[in-house]
Amino acid sequence: MTLLMSPLHERHVALGAKFAAFGGWDMPLEYAGGGVLKEHTAVREAVGIFDVSHLGKARITGSGAAGFVNATLSNDLGRIKPGKAQYTLCCDDATGGVVDDIIAYLHSDDHVFLIPNASNTTEVVRRLREAAPEGLTITNEHADYAVLAVQGPKSADLLAALGLPTEHEYMSFETATLNGVELTVCRTGYTGEHGYELVVPSADALAVWDALFAVEGIEARACGLGARDTLRTEMGYPLHGQDLSLDITPVQARAGWAVGWSKPAFWGKDVLTKEKADGPKRTLWGLVAQDRGIPRAHMQVLAGDEVVGEITSGTFSPTRKVGIALALLDASAGLTEGSTVEVDVRGRRAAMTVTKPPFVTPSVK
Amino acid sequence: MMIPEDLRYTAEHEWVREEGGKVRVGITDFAQDALGDIVFVQLPEIGAKVSAGDSFGEVESTKSVSEIYAPLSGQITARNEALSDSPDLINTDPYEEGWLVEIQVDDPAQLSALLDAAAYGELTKG
Repeated sequence: MTLLMSPLHERHVALGAKFAAFGGWDMPLEYAGGGVLKEHTAVREAVGIFDVSHLGKARITGSGAAGFVNATLSNDLGRIKPGKAQYTLCCDDATGGVVDDIIAYLHSDDHVFLIPNASNTTEVVRRLREAAPEGLTITNEHADYAVLAVQGPKSADLLAALGLPTEHEYMSFETATLNGVELTVCRTGYTGEHGYELVVPSADALAVWDALFAVEGIEARACGLGARDTLRTEMGYPLHGQDLSLDITPVQARAGWAVGWSKPAFWGKDVLTKEKADGPKRTLWGLVAQDRGIPRAHMQVLAGDEVVGEITSGTFSPTRKVGIALALLDASAGLTEGSTVEVDVRGRRAAMTVTKPPFVTPSVK
Repeated sequence: MMIPEDLRYTAEHEWVREEGGKVRVGITDFAQDALGDIVFVQLPEIGAKVSAGDSFGEVESTKSVSEIYAPLSGQITARNEALSDSPDLINTDPYEEGWLVEIQVDDPAQLSALLDAAAYGELTKG
């Protein structure tokens, strides 16, 4: 399979990036002179810029677009006003499993923009189209836009230096112009820091990238998807395909806050409502290693000799300097915050403490 | 990619430096670059017997873990304790400050069976 390339690919090559495949796209994992730790620290302490153009983009327009999204995706769009974005889930109607997790941008009652995950965009669009009433248009605009995530405590200063809006509240967006380029500035991110995601027409991506790195007095570091993963894991943010999937429901993943339970309809409502009432058979928890040893996805979690769960995401926390993980733990094991479990790390038992994420205090606001 | 001329190498990306019957062992510049930022190192105890080709430790980075294989048979006489607090020495200085262990080699003649710099260089081009 040929990998798709970001419109910023040549910049990453010039910066000596190592590349990896993400959802069918050839994206930078880390940069020469950087590396996961430096890039991670840049975002926690200053500002980092990520190319996340592999993320999907889809648009739903026509009379009643927002109503249609509200009757299919999980979260309640009625909770937000136009100009705001919302984390929501596309669940399978029959099983309640998660087809994808998505940020929905509410432009108006007749216009909703979605950012799904790269590898799930086609399927999300297919499901929406199949269900859409006459008069709605659903377009897959995956390659039409680049997305640049500008994240970290100095992100506002960086954008302000370019005359871009920065004062809008968390999870809201504004359109703006930069050197004649029209772009959307969203107060969103996947790092737990104050930050922005810029949605830019692909043809203008190079100009916007260059402008961000040309700001004098604020040194932004190019950050790869390796650091994005350690940053999001420290926040306990789920990654679809690992912590959320068709086999993992929002009730199990503790993503019930992203479900509009009282809405008349959304995909998976019946099965998820029942699971919520009965109590899920397993739940997503955080684990923190008590000594050396880094938990990794798919490792088994044990209590005594009994397997009680599985790691869904695990890494080294650059901020806490310890192994951290998200793990699905069986409800029947009776584990709770503060319980000690063991993780099978390549045949060795590593003791870990059960905890509630985040692992590092977020400062998104 | 730096490959010092005076060292010997294995196909598993370890380097070996002879120092009067003992050898010092580390991982190559190529290996540290492929691993990325190293955050934990696990080394054998001093006095442990190791056999050529057997795994005797692990080097773990933010994204992956790699086993370290004994390049030669012998007994561990020293290990780089500085790596416990500063595993990043392997990234910043793989051939000097980032060394892993010293081995008292059973049979010094084994050394000549390892790759020279040119042969290892060819291997990393693959």
